[in-house]
Amino acid sequence: MRLATIAIGLACAAATPAGVLAQSAVATNGLPVTGSSPQICSLSSASLRTTELVNFRGTDGDTLQVLQLVDPQTLAAQSARATVLIDGVCNFPHRIRIESQDNGLWPIEGPVSAPTNAFATALPYNVAFTWADRSGALQTDAKVRRTREVRADVDSPAAGDVKLEIELDAGASNAAVGAPVLAGNYGDTLRIFLEPR
Amino acid sequence: MKTAFFLLAAGLTLAPAAAFAQNATATDSKQFAVVGSVPAICSGGALGGGNGTFDLGVLTNTSTGLLRSDLSAPARSLVGAYCSAQSTIAVVATPMVAQNFTATAPAGFSRSVDYTATASGWTANPASFNTAAASNPAASQVRATAFTGDIGVGVSNFATTGGAALRLVADTAYRGTVTVTLTAAN
Repeated sequence: MRLATIAIGLACAAATPAGVLAQSAVATNGLPVTGSSPQICSLSSASLRTTELVNFRGTDGDTLQVLQLVDPQTLAAQSARATVLIDGVCNFPHRIRIESQDNGLWPIEGPVSAPTNAFATALPYNVAFTWADRSGALQTDAKVRRTREVRADVDSPAAGDVKLEIELDAGASNAAVGAPVLAGNYGDTLRIFLEPR
Repeated sequence: MKTAFFLLAAGLTLAPAAAFAQNATATDSKQFAVVGSVPAICSGGALGGGNGTFDLGVLTNTSTGLLRSDLSAPARSLVGAYCSAQSTIAVVATPMVAQNFTATAPAGFSRSVDYTATASGWTANPASFNTAAASNPAASQVRATAFTGDIGVGVSNFATTGGAALRLVADTAYRGTVTVTLTAAN
């Protein structure tokens, strides 16, 4: 009988390990959690704000208007300055590009006279920009009505304000400095891009 | 195995002969112990339904660059998990971290997303682990009895590491891991 008992014990011992080897006292499962963050550049036009305004009216939508473009006595351009802030973000290395559509303030409507020294027919202005760790300036000369731009590469993601300082010098002219400005409505479209390099 | 059973059968056939021999004087009995053991074991079960990845897709609001507020992923199920003794279930998770953008995130940005991982169905209180927390006392829960059943594993409460005002740097692969461990008591 003892022999039989031992035999049963061996049978159990032989059978158990085969079933147990696949498990253990500790079982672990690892589950990955994944996602992605696509490349994004965003400029919030709704957050366009002005700070310093000299001879400029505050923003009307996305328009900045000079209060008094010319000196009523001399008809020469008057100085004007505005600082504009726009919320921006790019979550990857990118580029900022500032573009003047017309390379200066040009008559919005009506025939454009050929530049003469007697009268200014277009007005140059400057835009200094600061974004992330970059700064630069777009200097229009109003000599030729065409697109003019400045760009700068930014080597890392950036978020914050794009700061633009728009300045029209006293006497600005595409003719002689201080030349009287031909009557009319003048304008330009300034575009700000945050974009892939 | 075969030999053992043969010997046992032989023993049983011999026993009546001995009993018969003693019948004239007294009644006798013998007891034989039949022994075995079941070690404390656990199995984490099989993954139910689809793969085991919590794929959250695009993490950011593409207008603002900020973390989306509606992030979610279907819970995963570990089907047929069991422990043959008192056990502890523990969940541990690592934040979702940008895999390609490995430099320190610049000011205003983060390269990591925290969340809470939960394992439920095993204990009355789910085991939960928040990757942003300094300590996670609820991450380990004890079950006093052997049990077999399904474990639901979920992720929730996503938050940008460093604060909600930070944007996530662009990266095609953010990755973290949820680890569920069943440990049987010895």
